[in-house]
Amino acid sequence: MTDDALRLSQELRDRLAADFQPVRPLRSPWMRTLVVVPVAVIALFAASITFNVRSDAERLGWIGVWGLSVLQFAIGLGVVAAALRESVPGRGWSRAAIAAWLAIPLGAMIAITLFSWETSQVMVRRQWWLVAGLCFSGSAATALPVVALSAILAARAYPTRPAIAGALFGAGSGLIADAGWRVFCHFGEPAHVLSAHLAAVVMSAAIGSLLSMRLARA
Amino acid sequence: MDDQALRELMREYQSGRFEAFDAIYAAVAPSLRRYLLSQARDAAKADDLVQETFLQIHRARHTFDPSYPLMPWAMAIARHVWLMDRRTLSRRPWAPEDVNALELPVRAEAASLADRVEVRRALGQVAPSRRDAVIQHHLLGFSFKEIADRAGIAETAAKLRSSRGIAQLRALMKVPKVRKAEK
Repeated sequence: MTDDALRLSQELRDRLAADFQPVRPLRSPWMRTLVVVPVAVIALFAASITFNVRSDAERLGWIGVWGLSVLQFAIGLGVVAAALRESVPGRGWSRAAIAAWLAIPLGAMIAITLFSWETSQVMVRRQWWLVAGLCFSGSAATALPVVALSAILAARAYPTRPAIAGALFGAGSGLIADAGWRVFCHFGEPAHVLSAHLAAVVMSAAIGSLLSMRLARA
Repeated sequence: MDDQALRELMREYQSGRFEAFDAIYAAVAPSLRRYLLSQARDAAKADDLVQETFLQIHRARHTFDPSYPLMPWAMAIARHVWLMDRRTLSRRPWAPEDVNALELPVRAEAASLADRVEVRRALGQVAPSRRDAVIQHHLLGFSFKEIADRAGIAETAAKLRSSRGIAQLRALMKVPKVRKAEK
């Protein structure tokens, strides 16, 4: 290293020493994900408590309604944990792993939708756009608190790729919110679920990405 | 220094022993500089980026998990600093590239034309990132906070760039450093 740079490292050292404080090391991504759980649980039950449980619940059974939603919820939390790991410098995922983490919510939604559709075929007959709008906005709005909390947790780390971290925790949060929304929405038609509900997850991912970039710049 | 020793130093740094910073700096800075030099291909720029990287390492020190190696963590921060700097440069043509286009303030009693030419010549030889900071602060009147915000760097780094630019300018123009007592 040049003498000049060494001399200035002393200057840098003095500046850093001026505002130096001990810090508590960040907990593991899984431990930090636990912070999200209470808000995520509220998101899971919000729609069914506010409105009602889907009208075809008896046909689907406990596993078809709550079992699949809890599975989707757990996968969503896993994606949020992956995002919180991505936010730590040097712990970022490879491109293939990122693609896999983003494909998991999509795959989970498709599988759960098809499984539910096998058991109960409730189609949207009239005003499909109204139903789609309600499901999209409701699911996306339910995801917002989870997205916001995840964004704060990710920003507290030091995301070197905030857009990717945000897309991951946004997709995870969207999946968690939709796990609750599907307990209320009885329209199991794949065209409805894979447009309105999936669009809400994509919207959450986009909001997460933008929010994460914004917080990283702040 | 082996990785285990570096992790231990980092643990001490996190728990409040600032002296550990010197040892970490000595062990890590050469590798970071080599990496940044390979990216920037400009020694002065690489030095600036090393300083900025250590500022960011200081800011992000709580994110280091001592159960993992230190170098990938430090390198990820260095890469981030490099990418941010490159992105900022591509978006920010707001400091004049051509120093001959600058209107330079020169004292009335000085032989103004000759002085202007001399200042321009020296300014042209100052490293670009430092020259930008000098021009923006001393000629255009931006605060260090404004410079830092626009450049996407820490305020401390903007001050460092400016002070290094002035020091380089002084050396090029052979102006002795003014002591406080003489002022």
